[in-house]
Amino acid sequence: MFDNFLIRGDSLRNDVDEGEVTGFSLAVRNANYRGVYLSLHNGYFLEVDGVLYPVAVQRFEINGKAPRTFDEIRGAVWEHWNYDDEGILHVAAPGGLASGPHTVRLQQSVLAAYGYLSTDEEWVENPPTPGTGAGSDKTPQIISYPLVLTETKDAR
Amino acid sequence: MTIKRGVSLYSYQQSQFFKQLDLEGQIAEVGRNLDGADGIEIVDEMSLDYPDPGPAFEARWFELMNTYGTRPVAMDVGMDVLQFRDHVMSLQECADRLIADIRLAKRLGFSIVRTLSVAPIQVIEMALPIAESLDIKLGKEIHQPMVLEGPLVQEILDLAERTGSQHVGIVPDFGIFQFRASEVQLAWFGRRGAQTSAQEASVDLALGLRDGTAPFPHVDMTRHTAGNIRGDFNRFLSTGVTTEDMRDAFEGVKQWTQQRVDSPKDIDYVLVAEALTLSHTSADTLRELAPFVTHVHGKFNNMSAVPGMPGQFQELSIDYPLAIDALKAGGFDGYIDTEYEGQRYFQDQGVEELEDEVEQVRRHQEMLKRLIEAS
Repeated sequence: MFDNFLIRGDSLRNDVDEGEVTGFSLAVRNANYRGVYLSLHNGYFLEVDGVLYPVAVQRFEINGKAPRTFDEIRGAVWEHWNYDDEGILHVAAPGGLASGPHTVRLQQSVLAAYGYLSTDEEWVENPPTPGTGAGSDKTPQIISYPLVLTETKDAR
Repeated sequence: MTIKRGVSLYSYQQSQFFKQLDLEGQIAEVGRNLDGADGIEIVDEMSLDYPDPGPAFEARWFELMNTYGTRPVAMDVGMDVLQFRDHVMSLQECADRLIADIRLAKRLGFSIVRTLSVAPIQVIEMALPIAESLDIKLGKEIHQPMVLEGPLVQEILDLAERTGSQHVGIVPDFGIFQFRASEVQLAWFGRRGAQTSAQEASVDLALGLRDGTAPFPHVDMTRHTAGNIRGDFNRFLSTGVTTEDMRDAFEGVKQWTQQRVDSPKDIDYVLVAEALTLSHTSADTLRELAPFVTHVHGKFNNMSAVPGMPGQFQELSIDYPLAIDALKAGGFDGYIDTEYEGQRYFQDQGVEELEDEVEQVRRHQEMLKRLIEAS
């Protein structure tokens, strides 16, 4: 669902910390018709121009709190990611991305489903790796987004 | 007493996503533009600051109902069993969530809580005493490809009989009366490469399975979900492996496709296999079950103009006349809530190609009103 609209088109930018470009970020929405408990949010398959950025280098910013790793997110069992709200996906990548056009391939993994599934116990022990389709039943394929990074490091 | 009309705000999910209609805008549309519809159904995790929207919102909610002449009918709740991530939720934990949702529904003036079609009967039973005490009905959704006949409805009837409760029933989703792929589903498959001949083959197979003229019989999908069937068929396509109960149907789909489609690709087979995900349930059963129906999900995929009848609209893939006649014959006088789901079949395209939810819901309400009032 919302295949082509999960990333806000003008949201790609570099993250700057104390004058240093530490990575990049983009704004995402929940690929569903509803919100979910935040803990269910299991990270992203994310590839930019052919380079894979695994969950380990991803942090997620939502609900007015500082960006959190997905290890922290899975502990947010009573916090809700509401349907209306945009989250910011931050990616640690020293130097960031060059200005100009990029091809971003993305699939979101949210372990929300309709009731009990045969994969439940397995996913407690070993959460699926995003990009396999697991936890992505409403957008089962990886979507490609042409995005342009326009800002320079002093803009943020 | 007559059937009443409402709208599930689920129908406006895309307008909400794109910030075109907020909650007030959606309620205003129902109250002002649908010729007498007044029922409001929500998905709690779509419309509310969940799980506790707070007292200020509660006050505003009732103000909105008052302003637009609408009334809360049903709240749809979920069940995500991995919420705690370190264990799978127990039945009791699922019941605890349902009970919290029942209390929330009560605070917002709803009289029905709809549980998922896959909610275990034990969970419903555990929450039932609280529902009773708050005068909230629990309705279990009966969703395509489930059927009204058989164990999944029977266990609800048994629970009602065993407890003597008037507060448990079913929510038929009219997708169970879908008898062919919708034209918008066909077009969606077409843009992904399915051939025109495969689109025709899918519809013809669905009609043949309904009439008993297909080369293999309809398989009862009661224990499956449409998603599972699709996954299993994909596995069968790539590996040839499947369960014995599905083998004849899957082989049958493959042969049907090869006879009707030149050099079929996977997407052609997958489209034809959509014919397997339809419910084949009986309108007679709906008539008999009418006393147990808490309300109805008026699911639809696309409303098109009725040729030669300006201002009238139809759903080509779902047998609405049959279903509504059965409800009337059964004496049902609750709500049918419009539940538009076809918007997703446009979302692979650009923003200018998206379907207009407001217009689709208006058309659906025109049909509902006309069919309800027909003698």
